[in-house]
Amino acid sequence: MTAAILIFVVALALIASERVDRTKVALLGMTAVVLTQVSDQEHAIEAIDFNTIGLLVGMMLMIRMTETTGVYTWLAIRAAQWSRGRPLAVVLALAVTTVVLSAFLDNVTTILLIVPITFLLADALDVNPVPLIMIEIFASNVGGTATLIGDPPNILIAGHTGLSFGEFITNLGPIAVLTSIVVIGGLYFVFRNQLHITEESRERVMDLDASRSIEDATEARRTVPILLITILLFFFHKALGLEPATVALAGASVMLLVTNQDLHKTIAGIEWPTLFFLIGLFVMVGALEETGALGEVANGIASVTGGDRVAELLGIIWTAAIGSAVVDNIPFTAAMIPVVDSLGGGTDNAYWWSLALGACFGGNATIVAAAANVAAVGMAARAGHPIGFVQFLKYGIPVTLVSLVMATAYVMVRYA
Amino acid sequence: MSPRSISDLALHDAPVVRVDDTVEDAVKQLVESQLPAVPVVDQSGVYRGIFGEREFMKARFPGYLNHLHGTAFLSRSLDDSLEKRDACRHEPVGNFMSTEHIDVGPDFADTQVAELFLHHQVLVIPVVADGQVKGVIMRQDFFRAIAERFLAGGTAA
Repeated sequence: MTAAILIFVVALALIASERVDRTKVALLGMTAVVLTQVSDQEHAIEAIDFNTIGLLVGMMLMIRMTETTGVYTWLAIRAAQWSRGRPLAVVLALAVTTVVLSAFLDNVTTILLIVPITFLLADALDVNPVPLIMIEIFASNVGGTATLIGDPPNILIAGHTGLSFGEFITNLGPIAVLTSIVVIGGLYFVFRNQLHITEESRERVMDLDASRSIEDATEARRTVPILLITILLFFFHKALGLEPATVALAGASVMLLVTNQDLHKTIAGIEWPTLFFLIGLFVMVGALEETGALGEVANGIASVTGGDRVAELLGIIWTAAIGSAVVDNIPFTAAMIPVVDSLGGGTDNAYWWSLALGACFGGNATIVAAAANVAAVGMAARAGHPIGFVQFLKYGIPVTLVSLVMATAYVMVRYA
Repeated sequence: MSPRSISDLALHDAPVVRVDDTVEDAVKQLVESQLPAVPVVDQSGVYRGIFGEREFMKARFPGYLNHLHGTAFLSRSLDDSLEKRDACRHEPVGNFMSTEHIDVGPDFADTQVAELFLHHQVLVIPVVADGQVKGVIMRQDFFRAIAERFLAGGTAA
């Protein structure tokens, strides 16, 4: 048990330090677990959650095939033009697009799609892009909370519990929407002085020709409906008796069949590092679980809370948030899942919603807390607008606190 | 005596710029030398990278261009309002050079040069011996040398 804990703690510390790529750390950790025979190979393979991996592969393939058509660029430009360059409307257009996209695509992809367009718009409108980028980061993490496929912590939780897409959206959707409104509104208020847009530059967004951003209209007509049907199917997967991974992989397979895009390029577009990171992580967490380490953590929590439901709900939300903020919300959630599982928590699954809310909202606190933040800050730096760790904290901490307080209130009112 | 290799025929003397030279100086060199790219060396003359047309465009145009999936939606009227990074003028060229080492050693084969041009879509390949730049091979010259030999019906070296 000590070896399993040691390996996991060292791995978490290395990931948090950002000295070594998180995928390399996870693969080394996984190797260490098997080499030291903390877990044998058979158990290690059993620990990998292929429902999660399958869901991610399916979504990554569909996103890859649809994004090359230019349809998301079209969406972002249309949204910006709807705003007609009015500051509040610009913020709303970009933030709402981000919330919606991140609820159905993964957050990193959403950020990679929306941030470059935002820089372009900020240039055209002659405003500082950083406030807009910050709002988008927060919007993507909050928006991603709403659905089963929106954010990695949710995918992990679904993979473990089998909770359905419908259950996720009905339990997490309302608070995600409410929090989005408060966070976006609040940030607009904070940044409003930096968002003066002159009449002259407002006209410039209208000079963009959104229709020309569709690079391949035939391809878009072939692939986008399949993505939409797949998302629709997610709503009914439980009724149909299908796992989310099956739905995603079915959509991806059909899309691969009808697309004209090169198979090798499409498959190379899968984010393999993320998948290998998760595989390594599953094996390490599996070892923690197998050796009873996570059971002890659960017992420890239960002895502190005395099994009190309210205390445990609060404990889960805030521990998940703090852990995610410091480490990275994916490994933290992976380790928390077996703990929450042994705590039980009743049939309304409130413990799982608390974990999801804590981990997803905690992702807003620091640059390292979620992969989308890292991606956005990296692009900003390359575009000549570096966002410092502390500068991020100045907004990340308040946003996280406000959203967590809202999440706590929601959980208390609805489930306690 | 064996005929000279095509790459020998295409070998071109090249000016080098230093990593701490400004982008402005490097661009002057590019324009004066009429080369599509010039090698960049460090203080002790060791080859470190290359700065050319592509690198200059990356430095001069908005940094997010690379991340956009396409730009067909842009109109000419926007050109003036998009941020042109004039500040790069005084920055060291080392910040913008490509460090992807696509170069050949002193004893290179024509086939190797052809393979590099095909695979990397570069316009210039530096010839480097012991870290020192001995010259560059331009794609244009390389093509002309093969084409002339081909049209003359001569055998390859």
